[in-house]
Amino acid sequence: MEEFLRLEKIHKSFVGVHALKGVDFTLRKGEIHCLVGENGCGKSTLIKIISGVLQPDSGRIFVEGQPVASLGSAATMARGIQVIYQDLSLFPNLTVAENIAIAEVKERGAGVVDWDEVRRIAQEAMARIHVDLDLDAEVGELPIGVQQLVAICRALTSDLKLLILDEPTASLPKRDIENLLSVVRDLQAHGIAVLFVSHKLNEIFAVAERITVFRDGERVATLPPNELDDDRLVALMTGRTLARKVFAFADAGARKVLQVRGLSKRNHFADVSLELRAGEIVGLTGLIGSGRTELALALFGISPAESGEIRVEGKPVQIRSVKDAVAAGIAYVPENRLVQGLVMKHSVEANVTATVLDRLLGRLGLVDPARKQALAREWIKALGVNVSDPAVPVQTLSGGNQQKVVIAKWLAASPRILILDGPTVGVDVMAKAAIHEYVRGLAARGMAVLLITDEEAEAVANTNRILVMRAGRIRGEMVAATAEAEQVQQLVEAPS
Amino acid sequence: MRAAEAVGGMLRGLLRHNETWLAILIVVLSAAITIANPAFLTYENVAGFLKSCSMVGIMAVGVLIVLILSGSPDVSFTAIAQVVEYAVAVATLQWGGNIYLALAAAAAMGVLMGLVNGAIVHWFRVPTIIVTIATFNIYFGMLYVITHGKLINLVHPMFHDFGNTLLFSRVSSIGASYGLSLMTLVWLGTVLLGWFILRKTFLGRSVFAIGGNEVAAERLGIAMLRTRLFAFGLVGLLSGVAAVVHLSIVQAVVPNIIVGKELEVIAAVVLGGASVFGGKGTALGAALGVLLFAILNNGLTLLNVSSYWYNVTIGVVITVAITNSAYQALRHRRARVHVKVEP
Amino acid sequence: MIPAFLKRPSANRTLAGVLVAIVVLMSALNPQRFPAIGNLISMSYQLPIIAFLSLGMMVAMVSGGINLAIIATANFTGIVMALVLRAVAGDAAEEAGAGVALLAMGGGLAAALAVGAVMGWLIAYVEVPAILTTLAMMTLLNGVNLVITKGYTLSGFPEFLLGVGNGMLGPVPIPFLILVAVVAGMAVFLRRTRTGLSLYLLGSNPIAAGYSNLHVRAVLVRTYALSSTFAALTAFIMVGQLNSVKANYAESYLLVSVLACFLGGVDPFGGTGTLTGMVLAMVILQVVSTGVNLLRMDPFFIQALWGLIILVLIAAGFLGERLREARRLRTARLAQQAAPASTVGTGP
Repeated sequence: MEEFLRLEKIHKSFVGVHALKGVDFTLRKGEIHCLVGENGCGKSTLIKIISGVLQPDSGRIFVEGQPVASLGSAATMARGIQVIYQDLSLFPNLTVAENIAIAEVKERGAGVVDWDEVRRIAQEAMARIHVDLDLDAEVGELPIGVQQLVAICRALTSDLKLLILDEPTASLPKRDIENLLSVVRDLQAHGIAVLFVSHKLNEIFAVAERITVFRDGERVATLPPNELDDDRLVALMTGRTLARKVFAFADAGARKVLQVRGLSKRNHFADVSLELRAGEIVGLTGLIGSGRTELALALFGISPAESGEIRVEGKPVQIRSVKDAVAAGIAYVPENRLVQGLVMKHSVEANVTATVLDRLLGRLGLVDPARKQALAREWIKALGVNVSDPAVPVQTLSGGNQQKVVIAKWLAASPRILILDGPTVGVDVMAKAAIHEYVRGLAARGMAVLLITDEEAEAVANTNRILVMRAGRIRGEMVAATAEAEQVQQLVEAPS
Repeated sequence: MRAAEAVGGMLRGLLRHNETWLAILIVVLSAAITIANPAFLTYENVAGFLKSCSMVGIMAVGVLIVLILSGSPDVSFTAIAQVVEYAVAVATLQWGGNIYLALAAAAAMGVLMGLVNGAIVHWFRVPTIIVTIATFNIYFGMLYVITHGKLINLVHPMFHDFGNTLLFSRVSSIGASYGLSLMTLVWLGTVLLGWFILRKTFLGRSVFAIGGNEVAAERLGIAMLRTRLFAFGLVGLLSGVAAVVHLSIVQAVVPNIIVGKELEVIAAVVLGGASVFGGKGTALGAALGVLLFAILNNGLTLLNVSSYWYNVTIGVVITVAITNSAYQALRHRRARVHVKVEP
Repeated sequence: MIPAFLKRPSANRTLAGVLVAIVVLMSALNPQRFPAIGNLISMSYQLPIIAFLSLGMMVAMVSGGINLAIIATANFTGIVMALVLRAVAGDAAEEAGAGVALLAMGGGLAAALAVGAVMGWLIAYVEVPAILTTLAMMTLLNGVNLVITKGYTLSGFPEFLLGVGNGMLGPVPIPFLILVAVVAGMAVFLRRTRTGLSLYLLGSNPIAAGYSNLHVRAVLVRTYALSSTFAALTAFIMVGQLNSVKANYAESYLLVSVLACFLGGVDPFGGTGTLTGMVLAMVILQVVSTGVNLLRMDPFFIQALWGLIILVLIAAGFLGERLREARRLRTARLAQQAAPASTVGTGP
């Protein structure tokens, strides 16, 4: 295959940090290439250099064999290189058609907008990857998987040769991930190279032709997927081996902490019954739109159920608000930590203590700052959050650490029942393992955990029972010890 | 059956638009006023209030565009209009000229003052409302320093002619002419211009883009400075034109008569569907908002309600409208189907 | 967005520097009258009005909203006070004793609280954007004020109220003492009460706040009630100092209070703002106002000058911001990269 992009001996430093140490990197025309590595390994910096946002300190860049003096943003677009960032760069107040066509319309430079042309451009782009979206829908109202497709369509309106996707599947539900991966293969059929950065090993294996591993600013290996497996990949990424642990539920006679019977809410879920014992980790899985998060939100009081019974420690409780849920000992770690889980601009301390301000009162009913600080430090230490000063804004932390802060804040409330909704989404391998281990430890100490997850493998390894939801109802239950990920997947995706 | 479904769907779609609610409100209000005083729905009366709200209507189009662009309202446009009105009145008394020259000069002055706002907002990256508070104070303060608040009672006859031009005119029982005022047509023209710019030009779409996602707009290579200067220049231009229109209607200059209407114009634009977060709004909606206020004002006068009640009525109407709007949005969100539950 | 310099603690240092510079400037321009004790006292009489309005605006803005109705509420409070006095004491209102005066204040406060509660309810439970709710309320109250007063000025307030506005306790004006007490109370409120702490979190991210068991709706209603309470406090002082109320007193103060918040580091999108910053900003605005007034300039020229000062402050802020922002980003990245490796991933 021909070479499309070649980087030679690229060095890049920021103040005191050597982000890229003499990196050589080649990308072939029309190949699907994945970039993996832990946070801080340099892959983001490499992407920024390729897309022209940053300039290398030294080294050479060749595009289609031609040396390139400097690759500024406009130059990269002109050479057919486009990046789709995690925030997608879409306009939520404009329609799908307009979002797709806007780059091209701008290029053509016409003062007056020809709306028919706009639709034509959009339709052409959609046709190239065989998607059919509602052109008049307002992008802000669309689910994120669809928004991503809009972003890709927009990239296609130019003479695209290389599409860079930065963590594209981080917040996508399963079905949309499949869609995306097939779109990526489609692009390849058009001779467009795709470079994507991802944490999700199973996706990488599903679609990559070559995988490049970065560690500490160096390119450690570039291999085809058949020469790699999960363990080898993790070893290359982290320089360590990951012990494989599986959760085992010891105490079958433990008391029932949560009992739910016939819980229903119109357009959310129907007739849900389940039980949680102390020390169990029960998995709850199903596609997006199956009702899992809706059920969790009902148990947590954000979107209370309309009928049915909930018992905590044997006593019936009414959960009409978050306050009720917390009083009953239920905690919920939300799926979207950026928006639902954390107040990004505020400190780690403020976030960790947010749920328990009521318990930090000192004299005169005022919050005691010493107790507040102590509580925050205690939980930062317990979860191993990598931060030197609890007063720094939580947005400066890595994804894994941020997730730990969210978990810490709920553990600080001393719940009996912990509901985790996608707790390791967008978290890198080592942090993921750490979180899993920590949760298993919690269960071992008597916490009842409901683990909502998209990843069957995560469920199989970390739970003792798996409940499968589909179309608002619980359709089945499997024992984790004897289940295989594929079996669970089948039940999840089976038609009703 | 299917036809009924289609009509139902269309109605629901329409109802989702602010403009529809506003139009309904206008119709209901007009009906109520007419019942109380049949003089409301007469050609003379309607033409009359359409003329007197022209100034506000013209300014509203400019204010709308800036609100879409930045999500933060411009509050200096009334000061711009006031300054231009004064300047044009004095200049024409000194040097004569014709109405076209006056309009051109007014537009030019307005544009310049607006561009100052745009430049500061762009380079210093400060919310529009803050910058325009500052320029409002500068423009208005300097106007008073120079003019000492003097009224001008006599203006060049060109403004008489301009302001009194009528189409489809009739003569009333007491011999006065009435009809569709040229001022109203200028307003209508402005609304059409606004619609065209927002809907049909790339510059207008850029305004929406920047209002919707500033970072993305910049990444896309959209001309940030040019678009901002355009929007702010336009509201300045329109304020200048509105000043000439006002001068032609009132035929006098009272240096603090226009100033003070800022929040009313902004309220009209918002009632018309513009979002206070930016990125949304229509020229038609803004026009309907202005029309609503004009009808309320006229209605109160016709019903012999003291002008003290004007604010209360406007306040109640705004409250009802925004509460309804928010409530509808809330219901829409709550009723969303989260899960297709199957048996 | 707000220039970053105004949001960090070091920004308060900059503001303090600006204050010193302005005091020096004003003293230089007015060597006889500005640095005098009499002037200091005079300023401490005037400061509370702008201060209470700014603080009332601050709590609304920290919550992510705004209170455009604050001046109208203050005027409304004053008018209600006049009505209560007339109802209780008839024509002898001026001679009324402290008890009646307190009753009038109570009535005014109750009126303000009612206004705040209604606005808070609309914003929290019906989810009407704050700017619209308070705009509507402002229009409504202005109208109500006008209908009640018919444009006339009401005056003849009792001795006690005049004392509140004009009295002195030793060498210190009473309104200033009230201000000091209120600022102290605010310091406690913002940093040490659940509502205060929740306010900042919810202003920055209302969704996460809701998920964090922070009683978002109740906090919002309390916020606007508090904001309106500040309007009532303003009314008490205004009534005391001017011995009159009118339907649209102090209209120009609305924009000044927004400016004070902006200067004081309150991000209009919510979630930030320090009391120190606010105090510095309010004092700066008061000093500038007084200093410029002493120069006996045309008041309209002063108004234009205000605008220019705002622009200059914005320009100065922006330039400083660029340097600080760059320096801060570098230090943060440094700190992250240098952090000891652990079993979990390092910084981004």
